Amino acid sequence: MTGLLILVIFISLVLMAFLVVSSGDLASSVIYFMAFGLGSTVLYFLFSAPDVALTEAVIGAGISAVVFLVALLQTQTKEEV
Amino acid sequence: MNLKKTVSLKTILTALLISFMSILLLGVIMHTAYTDTSLGYDLLKINTELTQSANAVTSVVTYFRGLDTLGEVTILFLSIFGIGIGIERSDRMKTVLTHDNTLLKIGAQVLFPLIVLFGLYIIVHGHLSPGGGFQGGVIIASAFLLMFLSYGDSYDLDHKVLSLFEALSGAGFVFVGILAVFTGGLFLGNTLPLGVMGKLFSSGILPIIYIFVGLKVAAEITVLVEYFLRTQDARDA
Repeated sequence: MTGLLILVIFISLVLMAFLVVSSGDLASSVIYFMAFGLGSTVLYFLFSAPDVALTEAVIGAGISAVVFLVALLQTQTKEEV
Repeated sequence: MNLKKTVSLKTILTALLISFMSILLLGVIMHTAYTDTSLGYDLLKINTELTQSANAVTSVVTYFRGLDTLGEVTILFLSIFGIGIGIERSDRMKTVLTHDNTLLKIGAQVLFPLIVLFGLYIIVHGHLSPGGGFQGGVIIASAFLLMFLSYGDSYDLDHKVLSLFEALSGAGFVFVGILAVFTGGLFLGNTLPLGVMGKLFSSGILPIIYIFVGLKVAAEITVLVEYFLRTQDARDA
């Protein structure tokens, strides 16, 4: 059961990473990145590394969000191709 | 300007290949045998008698590799220092809100002490449960981030108090280390009684070091977040 859950999270992580680079809207890229962080948090926890999971949850959701959102507020949200 | 990118076949194939390889890697990770010749096994064996800490990660971070943690904290301090020099501060704080939101302000005021309390809990119980100084410190900083985002310019932060916390905890860390040298041990060695595993007052200097690390990280990340939110707008300059 845990193996199946890990497999599903792994595939969704790859999907999220793909969406982060491929989506044209930078704001949704940030949201996808946060979803990626959430998935990796669960993955760390399932691999019995709760310390790393806690760090990833706090840094990925809190601090990197601020850095990316401040960068977004300074620029435009659409990517010029 | 074309906003919708067309995804080529090569990209899809690359993504498929990467996912296939990561699943293979997962298989390798899950079937790696836990042998008694690994370094982790040795650390776990001596952990109980040397530190009496229920969380082996904490004993590695603050005891076996205490000097590395001191270096890490110094690197964090230097990076915040560099950001403070490099970023041009503006008086106006960036915000995503277009107008004042009373509900958000009251909600943030209710949540703020709870988040700080949770961060302090994570720091103080670093040697008993997952987490510790770094994680708890960032949780406290995220409480300040909530206040910055909901209050904006009207939330005044006393930088003197923050600097005092930061400096005192950094000096305290080194002081604890030097104290061990004067009592006849190694730098950052254990000088206090170990106590019983699982109790809050146990494992000697480990919780004390983690409390110092936590306060330092909390002060530094709070200053970092404030600097980032107060950067000069590139379009205005």
